[in-house]
Amino acid sequence: MRPGMTLSLTVLALGLAAPAPAEDLKIGLATAQTGALAPYDQPSLAGFQMRVDEINAAGGIAGKYPIKLIAKDTRSDAAQTALVAQELVDEGVQIVITPCDADPSIAAGMVTQAAGIPAFSFCATTPTLPLAVGDYMFGNYPADNVQAAMLAEYAIGQGYKTAYILTSPDTAYTLKLPKYFGEAFTAKGGTLLGEGTYAMGQQDFSAEVTKIAAMNPKPDVIMTAAYEPDFPALMRQLRGAGVTTPVLGSDGIDSPTTFAMGGLVEGVVFSTAGFATEGSPLAAFNAKYKAKTGEEPNTVYIANGYDLGTVIDAAVTKAGSLDPKAIRDAIASLTDVQGVTGAISYAGTKGMPLRSVALVRITGGKRELVKQGVPAPADVPAP
Amino acid sequence: MDIFLQQLLNALSLGGTYALLALGLAVVFSIIGLINFAHGELMTTAGYVMAFALAAALPFPLAIILAVAAPVLLAVVMERVAFRPVRGASGTTLLLTSFAVSAILRVLFQNFISARPVPVPMPAALSGVINIGPLHLGIIQSISIATTALMLAGLTLFLNRTVAGRAMRAAAEDFAIVRLMGLRANGVVATAFAISGLLAGVAGLLWVAQRGSVDPLMGFLPVLKAFIAAIIGGLGSLTGAVAGGFLLGFIEVMLQAWLPEAWLPYRDAVAIMLVIAVLLFRPQGLLARKTVLKL
Repeated sequence: MRPGMTLSLTVLALGLAAPAPAEDLKIGLATAQTGALAPYDQPSLAGFQMRVDEINAAGGIAGKYPIKLIAKDTRSDAAQTALVAQELVDEGVQIVITPCDADPSIAAGMVTQAAGIPAFSFCATTPTLPLAVGDYMFGNYPADNVQAAMLAEYAIGQGYKTAYILTSPDTAYTLKLPKYFGEAFTAKGGTLLGEGTYAMGQQDFSAEVTKIAAMNPKPDVIMTAAYEPDFPALMRQLRGAGVTTPVLGSDGIDSPTTFAMGGLVEGVVFSTAGFATEGSPLAAFNAKYKAKTGEEPNTVYIANGYDLGTVIDAAVTKAGSLDPKAIRDAIASLTDVQGVTGAISYAGTKGMPLRSVALVRITGGKRELVKQGVPAPADVPAP
Repeated sequence: MDIFLQQLLNALSLGGTYALLALGLAVVFSIIGLINFAHGELMTTAGYVMAFALAAALPFPLAIILAVAAPVLLAVVMERVAFRPVRGASGTTLLLTSFAVSAILRVLFQNFISARPVPVPMPAALSGVINIGPLHLGIIQSISIATTALMLAGLTLFLNRTVAGRAMRAAAEDFAIVRLMGLRANGVVATAFAISGLLAGVAGLLWVAQRGSVDPLMGFLPVLKAFIAAIIGGLGSLTGAVAGGFLLGFIEVMLQAWLPEAWLPYRDAVAIMLVIAVLLFRPQGLLARKTVLKL
C-alpha cells in the first residue's frame, strides 16, 4: 500500500493552498480514501467538498468563518482512524468527520469525545454509535432502526403476514437492520418465519436459497440488508431457484449495479436517504452535480455528504463562535435544517438525526417512489 | 434426497470456480515457488475490461475475448516487471512482492477507475435457469461447471501433448535440469504466468457474472479461498489444486446446508477447522508432489 502518495494527492486535490486567517473553521476528515470504506467515504467527501466550496465562495459560514479542510486517509482501518483523529485533534480542528462505518467511528470518537470536539460520521447507520461514544458524536444518515420501521410499516400495509430475514453477522448494518425489521414487523402483528445467514463477499447463496425454496409454508416477504456483491448474487440465485417471494432491501442496494439487473430485481422495494422527485431540491442538486463534474451522481452518499456541509453551516451560524462546545450544543439543538435530501433535525435525538427515509420500488429498471417521510417514533425499535 | 442432490450441484458449481482459481495459483507456484496474491487483481482486471467493453457497446463475444486477454497480458507484464527481478529470492521476498503488486493495483483501481462498484450488465439470458426434474441449475452455474471442465481438459492436453506444456511439467520437477536441456527459463515462466492469467480471467468472468458488478477489492476473497484450496490439495500439485477447490466448495455448501441455525455464523470457522483436520492427517495436502521443490 502507498498511503503516503494517495494522501498527498488527496490533500492537493482538496486545494488547501490559501494560508488560513485566524477565523478559519478547521474541519478534520479522518475518512477512508482507500480500502473497504472508500466506496462510501469518497462520494460522501466529494459532496461535502462541493458544499464547503460553495460556503467558502460566499465568504464562509455566516460570512465570517471560512472552512479549512484537513483530510487524512484512514485506509479503512479502525486503529489508523483513531490515530488520524488524534493527529487532527492535535492540529486544533474544531470538528472531526469519521468514516461511514460504526467501528472506526467509535475508535475515532473515543479520541474526539475525550478532547471535547464534535464528530460526525459521514454515513454510518448504526443507531447505537452515538450511544457508544458519547454526547459529542453525531450521525448523518437515517438510522438502521428508522429504515427498518419504514420497511415494516410498508410490509404490513401490503398485507404480508409472514417474513423471513437474511442477516450477516459480518457487520452491524447487515446484522441489525433486518433484526430491527423483524422487531417492528412482529410488533405490528406480523410473524417471523425464520432467519438465514450468509458470509459477506462470498456471493454464494445456493445453500441458503435451496433452504428457502424448500420452506413450507413460504414466507410472504424476504427482508435483507445485503448489498453488492451479495445482493445481486442473492437475487440471481433466489429467482433462479424459482422463488418469487417479494424482497425488501435497504439503502446499501441504492447503486447502479442494482438497476442494471433487469427483471431480476423487478418489484424490489428498498429504503434510502432521498428521492429526486421532479422539482425537488435533490433533483436540483443532481443537476448541479452533473453540471460541475460531467457525471450523474451514482449514489445518494454524495448528496448526503453535501447535506453535512449544510448541517455544519447551520450549527456554526447558530453557535456564533468556533468554540467546539458551543458548536456541539448548537448541533444538538438543530431542528429542520433544509438539506437537499429533506429536513434534518438533531434536537430531541440521541445523536442520530431525524431525517426522512424514502421507500423506492424498482419498476422496469427505474426508481418509483412508494413513500417518503419519517416513521412514527413509537414504531421505531429501540436501538 | 432432492435437496441433497441440489446442494451437491451447488457444491459442484462453487467448487469449480475455486478449482479454476487454485489451479491458477498452483501453475505459477509449481514453477517458481511463488504464491501470487495479485492473482485476484487479475480477476478484477477481467471484470473491469468486461464492464468497459459492454459500456462501449462492443458485441458480447468480443467483450469476453478482450476480458480474458487483458489478464493474460497483465500477468505476463507483472512477471516481467515485478517478479523476474526477484526470481530465485526467498519465499518471503516473493510473497511480499506479490502483496505489494496486489496492493498497488487495488489503489490504482480505487483512485483511477472508481472506489464505487462498476456495474457489469450481463445479458438477461444468463439469468435463466435449467430444470432437471426437481433440480434447478442456474445458467451461470451450468456455464461455470462446463467452463471448469473445459479448462481442466484443455490444460491437461496442453501439459501432456505440447512441448511448452512438457517443459512446464519438467520445470515443476526440476527447473535447473530444464535449463540445462536448453529450454529458456524466461519462456517457461512467462508461459506459466500467461496460463495463470487465462485461468484468472475465466474465473473472474464467472465471478462477475454472479455479482453483476466489479469493484477494486473484489479479488481478495476468491484468492484467499483459492489459497486454502491449493493448500488442502497440496501446494504445487495441479491435480491437487483442483481436488482442493472441489473439496472446499463441497465443505462450504454442505456446512451452510446442514449446520444447525445457531452455528451458521461460524460456518467459515468450522470449514477452516475441517481443512486443518485434513492437514493433520495429510500435512503435505491431499495430492502432494513427492519431489521436493528446488527453487
